[in-house]
Amino acid sequence: MQLPVANSHVVLAYARVLSRQHRRPLARMLALYALAAVMALIPAWAIGQITDFASNHQLSASKISLYVGTLFVSSLAYAVLTFFARRRSYVLGETVFAQLREEFLASVLALPLIEVERAGTGDLLSRTTNDMESLSRTVRFAVPEWLVAILQAVLTLIAMLLVSPLATVASLVSLPILFFSTRHYLRYATPGYRRERISYATMSGSVAETAEGARTVDAHRLGERQSTRIEENVRESFYSEMYTLLMRMVWFPTVEGAFAIAVAATLAWSGWLVINGHLSLGAATTVTLYVVQINDPLDRIVSWLDELQIGQTALARLVGVSVVKDDRPRAGPEPTNDTITMTDVRYAYREGHDVLNGITLTVQPGERLAIVGPSGAGKSTIGRLLAGIDAPRSGSVRVGEVELAQMPLTTLRQHVALVTQEHHIFIGSVHDNLALAHPEASVRAIEAALDAVDALEWVNQLPQGLETELGTTGYQITPAQAQQLALARLVLSNPHTLVLDEATALLDPRAARHLERSLSAVLHGRTVIAIAHRLHTAHDADRVCVVIDGVVAELGTHAELVALNGEYAALWSSWRNEKPTVS
Amino acid sequence: MLHLPYRELPVGDPGTPDTGSPLRYLAWLARHQKWLLSLNALFGIGWMVSQALVWAAVGAAIDHGIQRHSSAELFKWVAVVIALGLFQAGCGALRHQLAVTNWMSATYRTIQLIGRHVATTGPALTDEIPAGDVVNTVAADAMRVGGTFDSFARFSGAIVAWIVVSLILLSTSVQLGLIVLLGVPILGSLTVPLMKPLHTTQAAQREAAGRLAALGSDTVAGLRILRGVGGEEVFLRNYRVQSQKVRVAGTRIAAPQAGLESGQVLLPAILTGVVTFLGARDVMNGSLQPGQLVAFFGYASFLTTPLRTAIDYLIMSTRAYVGASKVLRILKIQPIVTDPEHPVAWPNELARLEDGRSGVVIERGQLVALVTDTPDHAAVLVDRLGRFVADTDDVLVNGVAISSYALADVRSHVIVSEIEPRLFSGELRYELMPHGLVDDERILDVLRATSSLDVLDALEDGLSTTVEERGRGFSGGQRQRLSLARAILTNADVLILVDPTSAVDTHTEGRIAARLRDVRDGHTTLVATSSPLLLEKMDVVFVVLDGHVTAHGTHDELVEQSSTYRQIVLREES
Repeated sequence: MQLPVANSHVVLAYARVLSRQHRRPLARMLALYALAAVMALIPAWAIGQITDFASNHQLSASKISLYVGTLFVSSLAYAVLTFFARRRSYVLGETVFAQLREEFLASVLALPLIEVERAGTGDLLSRTTNDMESLSRTVRFAVPEWLVAILQAVLTLIAMLLVSPLATVASLVSLPILFFSTRHYLRYATPGYRRERISYATMSGSVAETAEGARTVDAHRLGERQSTRIEENVRESFYSEMYTLLMRMVWFPTVEGAFAIAVAATLAWSGWLVINGHLSLGAATTVTLYVVQINDPLDRIVSWLDELQIGQTALARLVGVSVVKDDRPRAGPEPTNDTITMTDVRYAYREGHDVLNGITLTVQPGERLAIVGPSGAGKSTIGRLLAGIDAPRSGSVRVGEVELAQMPLTTLRQHVALVTQEHHIFIGSVHDNLALAHPEASVRAIEAALDAVDALEWVNQLPQGLETELGTTGYQITPAQAQQLALARLVLSNPHTLVLDEATALLDPRAARHLERSLSAVLHGRTVIAIAHRLHTAHDADRVCVVIDGVVAELGTHAELVALNGEYAALWSSWRNEKPTVS
Repeated sequence: MLHLPYRELPVGDPGTPDTGSPLRYLAWLARHQKWLLSLNALFGIGWMVSQALVWAAVGAAIDHGIQRHSSAELFKWVAVVIALGLFQAGCGALRHQLAVTNWMSATYRTIQLIGRHVATTGPALTDEIPAGDVVNTVAADAMRVGGTFDSFARFSGAIVAWIVVSLILLSTSVQLGLIVLLGVPILGSLTVPLMKPLHTTQAAQREAAGRLAALGSDTVAGLRILRGVGGEEVFLRNYRVQSQKVRVAGTRIAAPQAGLESGQVLLPAILTGVVTFLGARDVMNGSLQPGQLVAFFGYASFLTTPLRTAIDYLIMSTRAYVGASKVLRILKIQPIVTDPEHPVAWPNELARLEDGRSGVVIERGQLVALVTDTPDHAAVLVDRLGRFVADTDDVLVNGVAISSYALADVRSHVIVSEIEPRLFSGELRYELMPHGLVDDERILDVLRATSSLDVLDALEDGLSTTVEERGRGFSGGQRQRLSLARAILTNADVLILVDPTSAVDTHTEGRIAARLRDVRDGHTTLVATSSPLLLEKMDVVFVVLDGHVTAHGTHDELVEQSSTYRQIVLREES
């Protein structure tokens, strides 16, 4: 499942809103650039004037001072204006891009739970990293450069027309060449650049997996194979580079040739006009110099096009996230009690393939229920439904007579929380990592929560205690400690029901045992639904629910189920090494 | 078009680099592509010089054609303009092709060297340099190294074009010629002080942006938790704060960057002013033609290009130097374990593997288990038995120190599957048997024994499925089972497995335990585990506390005799 990508209308509308919001700085920036561009047009005009006087033998020292002075001053003004215009454009680019990324993250953080679950983090992560990076170049450099180039080209063209509309005609010969060659180039080169980027990502990926798996590579003698593989990636990257290179080998000389032809055509045409008395030498000189000058912005206009294309694609993927509609009402009825009921629940990931085939289950407030069963029996699906992340295909999952999937998120969190084996420590202090569950929590409340999960002691021993920075860039804590912090978060958010989905499965059993002790202190007085890999979790529960093939196969206390001598009893005995009867 | 020096990359053998210093490394790279670089420089010179010479033709067209009202002369010089333009376009294309080739040669050679080094140095590398940095070096630094080779030809062209322009001017006016000859480097060096603030602010921006990117990815990675527990506002606020810091850092670049760009137009503008002024005076004196003045103006404004090119080259080369030092940091790391000088021949039959320090003895053909008080202790022991650490003189293979054998022999006969084995991208079949020794039937057999057939069933192309990078398409439990299958498929004389079933459920663990002996087919197997389901299938279990064997026997014996064992394995409270 991928998140949506916005269509071009949405993207354009977004770009329009963005430029309207920044209308003033944008206008100021363009005004400065326009002024600079006008300054850049003066020297060629001054040279034209000097040539005119020279050819008429009217050149005097005062005229030289006047025109060279004008040339000099306008060049200086151009440099100075360029400084201010550039500076503004960089600042504007930074501002717009900052707004863009903040809005993007806001829509990521507002994504419905179900979408987050379905899409996984891969797609979203590539939008957050790769697309953001592409867009950064587009917004900060490509868009301003491109706008400025257009401005300069238009102003130069106007200047040429002012000097001599007749002479200008010849300079237009390059435009059709530019247009068609660029269109052809973009059509074939853009997919090539995409292939190039993919090849580099694959290469980085190969190096990453080799470096991260260094130990496995060593143990299984995979060194040669991995380096061969990296070299194959290099080869693919080479071919993709060669493809785009070939495209450019056609396009570059065409563009450069077109520019040369434009200069030559203008020189020939305006020269012919002078010879036949239709134009002054100065005008011919100025127009020719303008044609040389206009080539630069024209070149930039066509060169930035592919970057703009990339940026547009990236923007479509970023804006796409905000297109996702919220699946929950903003407000709804409050549950009347804390009893959770599942009634004839069916659920399918793919149409026609139910993984749950009619589950009916009532969990009383304060009860400990363990759900066990083989992989693929539907345990985790039950957990997701009980946590209100997803709605069943048919049947109902309710707390106090209210559908969990229809509850506003803030209400839902006060009732049920899902704890998975996926524990994540965010970049930030220990305090930040806990406070997210309850932003207004006092330091005392946070310490109390840490104490409840047996974590206060080691947290206090960290270099800066509660303020120690954790996460990928900070202090590294063990998985068991991370799990403890996750539990402390729950203490703070204080829901009456917890769904533990294999929350302790991936840990070393000895650590898990310790965690469960602190967990049981935390869970006191709460309803707990534990989805268990390991049977000792089931042993401590009030009731055990054995799920097989999407139905409740056995339900009862540990003792009852052992006495029943069924599936659970068989598992338990093999675990305890009485009579191994594992099939 | 491609009859020019075109060669397939990457090269077969990247060679042995000079790791003495970043400069020596860059010089070593340059030696490998000296002809490519020279030819590239030639086209760079042609490309740049023809851009300057166009002005001579334009000037001549004005003086000889337009001024003298001679259409023939005008068209002759226009033809020269076209010819120069086409020559420039041709040289430009070839210069570009060779520049890219040079860039690729240096970059790919560097990536090959890093790739080979990463693949063969083992864990020593990632012990010192985080994997993320290694990837960054490939993704960014290797390309920066290539950058200097890419811009070399343009730089050569810039230098020659500047000299050519100076000579042309010298031939008409010594004064003008000297002004350009000396003025360009003097004015150019004035921009150098602008570069330092630019670098500083850019580095600050990159760092802030890196933090922000990390914060963004981190938020996305923990999104399920955030959306589950709450705290979105806090995160959005944190992100906004950092985002604004990046914005501010970005705006700090604005002034030096704009300054450099403004300087790049200002300095030639000064030159243009001076040249035009002196030229106009000569025109007034009659010693210069108006067309020549236009040409002089053209030369002077053209000089922006070589100036900018030279500055770019300087920036690129600095980056290449920094990149090269990062590359060398990786290339200099040596593996932890190396071959002895005179390795002993590997025995025909591995009868006994023992660790003198702990007292663990593994006899041929046995299923042996290792129970330790913490998983770390098991890891230390296993590292010694598999010779992953330097000091292994008291680990004996058939009574001879394991360190006296060739490492390749040890690795092919004693295979250690560590606690979190990694999967790699590629066709599943060859990921399961990377050395290609067995047929599909055996693979399916082993997959059945490791309870992994369900993983295979879910794959559309079965064994021919392409495994994604790091095996990320599989769940943790699936990866563990597939890694176990891979380990078993090596048919190693001695297979050492560390917690091979920690991520699978009890049902599956039971099935795997039941089939382990059959599937190992009489080969020696050591399993570090605390799972009773596995332990009860073992011939002998060693209990190792504080690095020494404190008890050994079968699972049943130990359950009966050792309370420590019961505590660890059966989770009895003491």
